[in-house]
Amino acid sequence: MQTGLKVTNLCKRFGGIVVADAIDLDVPAGRIVGLIGPNGAGKTSFFNLVSGVVAPDAGRVMLDGEDVTGLKMAERARRGLARTWQNLRLFPSLSVLDNLLIGTRDYPGERLSRLVLQSGRIARDETQDRLKALDVLERIGLAGIAHTDIVNVPYGQQKLIGVARALMNNPRCLLLDEPMAGVEGQAYRTLQSVVRGLAASGVAICVVEHNVAFIRDLCDEGVFMFAGKVLARGDVESLVADPRLTELYFGT
Amino acid sequence: MFSLPILAQILWTSLATSTCFVLFALAFALVLKVNRIFNFAQAAMMTVGFYAAYTVVGLADGPGWLGFLAALLGSVGVAVLLEIFGFRPLRKRRASSMFVFIFALVISELISYVIMLVYGTWPATIFPSLFWPVTLVGPVAVSQWDVPAVVSTIAAIAALFAFLQFSRAGQFMTAVADNPDLAEFYGITKDRIYLITMIVAGLLTGLAMFLYGSRAQVQPMSSIDLLLFAIAATIIGGIGNLGGTAITAVVLGIVQNTSVLFIPSEWQGFLLYVFLFTAIVFFPKGIRLPERRLARSTPTPTINADDSGEA
Amino acid sequence: MEYFYTIVILMALYVILAASFNFVIGYGGLVSIAHPVFYAIGAYASALLARDVGVPVILAIVAGGLIALLASVALALSSLRVSGDYLLIGSIGFQLGTLEVIKNLHWTGGAGGLSNIPSFLTQTLGPQAYVAFAVAVAVCTVLLLRWIAHGPYGRAMSAMRDDELAFAALGRNAMVMKITIFALGSGLAGLAGGIYAHYFRFIAPGQFDLLQSSALLTMVVVGGLRSTWGPIVGAIALEALPQAITFINLPPSVLGPLQGILFTSLVLIFMFVRPQGLIAASARWRGRQEEVRDANRA
Repeated sequence: MQTGLKVTNLCKRFGGIVVADAIDLDVPAGRIVGLIGPNGAGKTSFFNLVSGVVAPDAGRVMLDGEDVTGLKMAERARRGLARTWQNLRLFPSLSVLDNLLIGTRDYPGERLSRLVLQSGRIARDETQDRLKALDVLERIGLAGIAHTDIVNVPYGQQKLIGVARALMNNPRCLLLDEPMAGVEGQAYRTLQSVVRGLAASGVAICVVEHNVAFIRDLCDEGVFMFAGKVLARGDVESLVADPRLTELYFGT
Repeated sequence: MFSLPILAQILWTSLATSTCFVLFALAFALVLKVNRIFNFAQAAMMTVGFYAAYTVVGLADGPGWLGFLAALLGSVGVAVLLEIFGFRPLRKRRASSMFVFIFALVISELISYVIMLVYGTWPATIFPSLFWPVTLVGPVAVSQWDVPAVVSTIAAIAALFAFLQFSRAGQFMTAVADNPDLAEFYGITKDRIYLITMIVAGLLTGLAMFLYGSRAQVQPMSSIDLLLFAIAATIIGGIGNLGGTAITAVVLGIVQNTSVLFIPSEWQGFLLYVFLFTAIVFFPKGIRLPERRLARSTPTPTINADDSGEA
Repeated sequence: MEYFYTIVILMALYVILAASFNFVIGYGGLVSIAHPVFYAIGAYASALLARDVGVPVILAIVAGGLIALLASVALALSSLRVSGDYLLIGSIGFQLGTLEVIKNLHWTGGAGGLSNIPSFLTQTLGPQAYVAFAVAVAVCTVLLLRWIAHGPYGRAMSAMRDDELAFAALGRNAMVMKITIFALGSGLAGLAGGIYAHYFRFIAPGQFDLLQSSALLTMVVVGGLRSTWGPIVGAIALEALPQAITFINLPPSVLGPLQGILFTSLVLIFMFVRPQGLIAASARWRGRQEEVRDANRA
């Protein structure tokens, strides 16, 4: 069975603009694929199409051999498709820990009927999830701020928490939308090691990033997008060195 | 039994009486399209417009044209106050749409209660009599109210569309409706445009209420019911689609009036709620007319249930 | 003394209504003005079941709550399919439309109202028993809603209000949650309706109109959205106010609109001057303290 993410012939038009032009993309389990390209190339739109924020005009999205194209966003997440957002989208009314707890694939307190009738079970599940969340925070070195309100946490750490929240899903496929933008130093290194660790455990990872160093350091292969199309694919070094691509990237 | 003359009569009368509703619907739809708010406070504009005209003509025995002016002034006045002291500060504060809605609803209720206190709850009409002289045009009885109503409504609609198409302010309104932030890049002051939109809505509402109050009884709470009709027409016609809204209002008006042949009169009011539900359940995105170059619909300013769209 | 019992029962009922309305619009973030109509549905359903079908009153009251709940699910399902704003419009239509139906049907007593509703407790154990009953239900309602709001469900509600898109992208079902919240809130309103019907033994459509919507909105907005005590303070204060006005001898034609003006002006003043209400809720969601402590110990 094909594992990982497989996108075939993905097409989408918005108004008069083609944001996805027959995109074919494979992200095998355990591989880290980097999406690069100038602004407006359709990278975030690609993520929106794969994660289910918008429905494509044509094409298919397969996750571990299962066709998820017709499924809503929430249903894809429940099958292990997790993502982060360019603009974070953390929950300002919650603490760091609570932000993570909401991200579990099966949230124990989601159904009111269960909450009332099986409150003991729910409490136990919550405790389990809490331990897991604290563990994830440990891994990224932020266990100390678990109970801090997310609005009081500096931006760089918020970005890491965004990734941590996606990890709570135990994802089979992870989409990272510009995880490094605005992040430096230790956070950078932490994120690198977290993503590598995930890939090693078999998660299919796709990263959109402008920080070429990050892509170079981390990704197994690169995909160059322009105007909704996949123009080139392959080794990150050779993509970056290709003069035609460089011209496209900086020309816009 | 449904002979041609009777049908012609019903059609004519329905058309004439639907004029007010077309204007109510257009006013509501315009504010929704440009200012992106469900202006439930239009009920307040309608109430004040009517009672202003009623005071001048019905109570003070003034001439009709003065009453008309009073209706316009009253309606526009409320619209301006709403925008400057209500919607604008709430916008600056980035109030949630729930807050804005509660504000609009509560203002309408407040105005209704004040009017109730001042004028009492007895039904009132602008002119002393609801009955206008009738002349026969062929088999159809045309009342003296009908023709001015239809003519003024058509004139108002024509003026509105001309304004939107050809005047600078009107074009700005369309630009702001499509993309308010981009419009600001081009130097258009959003606040000014929002105010102009409210004024235009006030004019339409004032005219409509003057017409309505000349042929039907009005009570302090009537406007809310009338407004629901406008809302149903706006939804079915397609949010952002003024032409669709106008046509829908006419059709709904005809349907509601002809229903008197089929259902007992006390259930006629209930028909409105049936419209509203039909609109919400079956036509939430409006009936799609073929896309014309000029009539582009603006995106609904909400998050849709399938989690797509703008946050 | 009778008068005192009536006031306390009314206050208890308004506490239930305000707390459940707060749950729907404050915690659920669902804008709806249809709360009084579910109060009405509960009242009418319970009254008719007890009076005309012979159902024991206590069961009739519960049934009234359930019927109101089912009606609310129908409304929410049809409107929320589209968007939250449509729920608002739908609720206005439903509120006004249902009352219109009640006014036109003869078996509901029409516009004149429904009388001879069977009594409960009052004749066997005295009005004090009914007061205890109403207050007990009010207390349970407040505690139940508080328990829900401070548990994992509350965490989810908070996140849903913050960012529904991100919420759904994590795998949460916002639609089901909204319908559940709406159903619970409306069901509780229906329950209150039944409790009202069997004490006052006369109900009429005019008692459940738009004035009630403004009153409830006032209680919740002025009391404090999303706080536990806010709706209680709002309910009690706003029940006390109109009672105070009735002591000034004014004709009903003045009293009615004056109450309306009072309610609506209060909401407006608070909205602009102190939008968080009398009892401001915390901006951050807080779980139950015992749970946090236990978890930290683990």
